[in-house]
Amino acid sequence: MSLAIPLAGRRGSGARRSLVPHLFAALALIGAVQAAGAAWIPAKAMLAQVLLERAFDASRASGRPEKPWPWADMAPLARIAVPRLGERAIVLSGASGEAMAFGPTRLATDPASGITVLAAHRDTHFAFIRRLRLGDLVTRETIDGHRTTYRVEGFATLRWDRFAVPRSGHGEWLALTTCYPFDGGTRSPLRRIVWARRVG
Amino acid sequence: MRALSRLRHIPGIHSVVLLVFLSVLLLSGLIAASLNAQFAERRDPADGGSLLLRGKGGKTELPAVRLGTDIKAVVSGNVARVTVTQAFRNTGKDWMEASYLYPLPDNGAVDSLKMVVGDRIFIGKIKPREEARQIYQKALDEGRQAGLVEQARPNMFRSNVANVGPGQTVLIAIEFQAPVREIGGEYALRLPLVVGARYVPPHTLQGRRGLIDMKGLNDAVEVGSEVIDPALADGLNPVSISVDLTPGYAPQGIVSSYHAIDVAKGKGDGRIVTLRDGVVPADRDFELRWRAPAQEPSVGLFHQRHDGMDYVMATITPPAASATRSAPARDMIFVIDNSGSMSGESIEAAKASLLYALDTLRPGDRFNIIRFDDTMTELFDRAVAADAPGIATAKRFTQRLEADGGTEMLPALKAALVDPDADDAARVRQVVFLTDGDLSNESEMMAEIFAHRGRSRVFMVGIGSAPNTYLMNAMAQAGRGTYTNIGTSGEVSTKMHDLLDRLSAPVAQNLKVAVDGVAVDFAPQDLPDLYAGEPLVLLGRTQRLSGTMTISGTLDSKPWSRALSLSGAVESNAVAKLWARRRIDEIEADRWRSTIADDEADKRVRDIGLQFHIVTSQTSLIAEDDTPARPAGARLTREELPLLLPAGWDFDRLFGNAANAAGRPADASEGEQADALDLPQTAALFEQPLRNGGLLMLAGIAGLLLARRRARERRA
Repeated sequence: MSLAIPLAGRRGSGARRSLVPHLFAALALIGAVQAAGAAWIPAKAMLAQVLLERAFDASRASGRPEKPWPWADMAPLARIAVPRLGERAIVLSGASGEAMAFGPTRLATDPASGITVLAAHRDTHFAFIRRLRLGDLVTRETIDGHRTTYRVEGFATLRWDRFAVPRSGHGEWLALTTCYPFDGGTRSPLRRIVWARRVG
Repeated sequence: MRALSRLRHIPGIHSVVLLVFLSVLLLSGLIAASLNAQFAERRDPADGGSLLLRGKGGKTELPAVRLGTDIKAVVSGNVARVTVTQAFRNTGKDWMEASYLYPLPDNGAVDSLKMVVGDRIFIGKIKPREEARQIYQKALDEGRQAGLVEQARPNMFRSNVANVGPGQTVLIAIEFQAPVREIGGEYALRLPLVVGARYVPPHTLQGRRGLIDMKGLNDAVEVGSEVIDPALADGLNPVSISVDLTPGYAPQGIVSSYHAIDVAKGKGDGRIVTLRDGVVPADRDFELRWRAPAQEPSVGLFHQRHDGMDYVMATITPPAASATRSAPARDMIFVIDNSGSMSGESIEAAKASLLYALDTLRPGDRFNIIRFDDTMTELFDRAVAADAPGIATAKRFTQRLEADGGTEMLPALKAALVDPDADDAARVRQVVFLTDGDLSNESEMMAEIFAHRGRSRVFMVGIGSAPNTYLMNAMAQAGRGTYTNIGTSGEVSTKMHDLLDRLSAPVAQNLKVAVDGVAVDFAPQDLPDLYAGEPLVLLGRTQRLSGTMTISGTLDSKPWSRALSLSGAVESNAVAKLWARRRIDEIEADRWRSTIADDEADKRVRDIGLQFHIVTSQTSLIAEDDTPARPAGARLTREELPLLLPAGWDFDRLFGNAANAAGRPADASEGEQADALDLPQTAALFEQPLRNGGLLMLAGIAGLLLARRRARERRA
């Protein structure tokens, strides 16, 4: 290439000479667009959490779910936090893929079972799952001001379609679920589940 | 001329620039495409229902294809020839493909396959594994009946049967031979009947850059199979067994360790052993033990001429050690498995065994205990004196153990092999494992032992009704120790007593073998130490067998040797295949030591498999019908036949309704309702596009800067 370009300069006409920088500019532009599109994902995840924090506080004050932005089709449900890791996130209603871009979502389960199952992206809101240890405390604060504390009691790795929760009679549990393995740029059929039992 | 040169150069320049442009542009696309291709090839891990992927529980529906197994064994000399006939009966309305995972003795050589459909018999041929699979797949697709026998582990095989019609029965008969194990003057034939569910350590699935490791995944899939809910298991997978015992002398004291048997008189001195109940569920190993009369000679020599070569098998029993030999002081490291697969009877037997062993420690010994599931605890920082307070602490620790969680044995093995006094020749260092060995990463264990065994000897105590005997045998061999199996709590004291007695010191060491006149290719090439009551079984191959074989070594720290005339060998047609099986073990050991490349090891194993017509990791047996059976257009359903849970295992513990044993909501009761919940895809996957986009942008900017600099230079 270093040989080719001087040749182009010496022998090529003006119009042809300018073609080379244009190609590189196009290359840089395509890269920039792609990178910006990708960078928008974590940016959106973070930004949404700021707005959701506000909506959560507003919901706490009003006692009913407040939308984080006018056109949002979901509302904050609770705030979960892991004090040891300094992590926290606002949990959303609705388990759609769009909602998960903004925060952890609650998967529909029978409320009678006492088990809450949350899901979030492994590379944004639930990136901290890999750092969780047995015995870690996880707190959950709902919009009606209810505070519960859970302690991590176990981990499981299983396929996305091999997960089940018992219907009743096992006390209160919180299951945090995300994709596994934690790294890599591909989708995997495996999920990591953190089981935390209510302790207070 | 000028115009011509311009024409010649300018397309050249442009092609170079375009090439750079296109290649960078394509880079991200290519990476993504290769990853996608990798995933497209992936086999679904949950199909195997391995422990890592447990969740919704075991199989709760009866399979459409039912399986019955009949085992006939003939023991002649020190070798058993065993025929296993599996009857696959389709009770459903669909055409079926059935697959069944089953164990065989780890040192057996499977050399024959017959498929019987109605009154027609198809004889299996040995083929390289991939080729056999392709033949099978073609028959499957074309509606023809076919049987395929593959090796998943040296002690674990899988039968696949294609296109079994509604109401039809297809028989798959395989034959193998295995040496009879002799220990303490007693002979034992062990026929494993069920594979325990294996734990798949997550790291074996994790490849580089966080991708799923395809090799690891396929390997894990091979050893996994679904387990039937015990509530439904009644009458499923029945087995009948008969053993024709003609070892060449009148067998005495015939006992079966875990089954009720009837013994009848057979030909000559022989005996015929059958199950008293006729058929039993395939949920525990069958073990038959007997003794020889006192005058039985202590050397057995067998010979076979095969394919232009002479094969010999020699059994050498060293003289009994003198009762007064002084036992050196020991560092004993006990490693106990308290993973979920041990729950039930196994953990009780393991704890009882460990407590027994603690009581046999002598003053002057040092010891430590390591327990592991998917976590690990070392009782003491390092081996401590076996004094009363130390032993009391150890007993309390042992009694409190509960079985739960995964089987991450590697960290425990690593910890056990850490030897702070590696040069202390005055003491012997012994590592005793108490485990069922139900894990899928056997090869990592062997590699670790070969790499770090130092002066330590590794002894294995296989716990439970269906331990992984291949792991026991291979780890003990790699660790220059020996192994025993404890099936029930009732066996603890006798078996532990025998084992601890044996391992108190090897009787014969530094063994060498020489044959005058001819070069003999022996397997094993490095002779192991001999422990009391355990004979050395040598297999050799040579051009023309003749002369005298001399075995020498040190016995009770004194030189010892013994000569055998090879002309007295008895003909046996099992020797060549047993030699081949042993040679494969050696190739595998070289693979674990990394003294041989993977491809080269595969090739050598394949060559041996083809030459000796035996099933190996690289060769399979395939039998096929030439004529289609399934009408074109009729649907074919694949079914993985569920396994019975090994006796004494705790089904709920393993496949509890809620989730993984390590972290499920507590107290899940039997037969309780659970809601399945599909977990969403949760990866935003922005990192890779971000990186690729960034790189692309940088490349563009760099090109721009370069072009601009060139332009400036030109102007200057």
